[in-house]
Amino acid sequence: MTIASNVKQCMVTLKSAKETLSKLAQKSRDEQAKRTFHESMIEVEEIISDLQKRIGQLEFEEPQYKGN
Amino acid sequence: MLNWVEIVIRSFTFLIALFLLTKWLGKKQLAELSFFEYVTGITIGSIAAEVTMGLERHIMHGLIAMSIWTLFPIIMGLISLKNKKIRDFVEGKATIVIKDGKILEDNLKKERYTIDELLEQLRSKDVFQVSDVEFAVIEPNGDVSILLKKENRPLTAKDIQLNQPSVKEPQTVIMDGLILDEPLSTAGLNRGWLNEELEKLEVTVDNVFLGQIDSYGQLTVDLYDDKINVPSPKEKPLLLASLKKCQADLELFSIQTESEKAKQLYNKNSQKLNRLLSKLTPLLNDN
Repeated sequence: MTIASNVKQCMVTLKSAKETLSKLAQKSRDEQAKRTFHESMIEVEEIISDLQKRIGQLEFEEPQYKGN
Repeated sequence: MLNWVEIVIRSFTFLIALFLLTKWLGKKQLAELSFFEYVTGITIGSIAAEVTMGLERHIMHGLIAMSIWTLFPIIMGLISLKNKKIRDFVEGKATIVIKDGKILEDNLKKERYTIDELLEQLRSKDVFQVSDVEFAVIEPNGDVSILLKKENRPLTAKDIQLNQPSVKEPQTVIMDGLILDEPLSTAGLNRGWLNEELEKLEVTVDNVFLGQIDSYGQLTVDLYDDKINVPSPKEKPLLLASLKKCQADLELFSIQTESEKAKQLYNKNSQKLNRLLSKLTPLLNDN
């Protein structure tokens, strides 16, 4: 196990969390809750893209683990 | 005409008349009957009974009397809707009996309420000590309404400054194994979604006695077959747990990494996630 694969795993978890948030945002009938879920989804998306950048760097540094 | 035929005809006539008149009197009835309305109600019934059995009386006379007894409360109701003074006169006013924790003996006397009756009413509201009460009134219908002193009131979310998300009413979408389309569309969902959710729970519509959707679009069902255990919705707790895990992961990464830039990136995102968590926790914690 390397850092890169750990970070990747974290990113995948966040991605599924993002999906759940978007589902909740669609299904919730309370406006306030809907908005909170939606905003959270966008923020999670930002974190994901940050992590993706970091994964790119890590794979560049340890190319042997690429794709794991 | 034979007497018994006459009685049959009269019975049906007055049954129908009574039914229509009470419909017309409206929903207000029973729940918040004022004494006047209560008495008129009884009188209307008595007239119907009297004329049904008293064959020497004319049907029309009975009907006329009943309509007047119905019409009058309705007109009074309409007038009192418009005018506060008449409303107070017709429906009565509430009388204050306890103020600032002190019993107002004069008002009690005015309502001909004995202290025993007041205590009894308070006890029926779970109040055994008069000093616990800040304010109490006798409502026009004879009930006593009380406001407890602040320290004796049940604790609410507002008292401990807990920010609780507002929740919409649940919608019943399955009843007796049949899908109800109207509440389903009120919840902004459709049959396709519902079938998918049922599949996830591994049940068929026929087996569902009652299915409800909460404010967050989660489906809970009660089955005909009570031996089958249906899992409770896990979507929200799972989401909360996975977000918490990611936050911890990011913190861990920031400690492990040697690159200063990466450290900052992890730190920033872990804090972001932390803020998110504090915002989402009240929504995701099952209430």
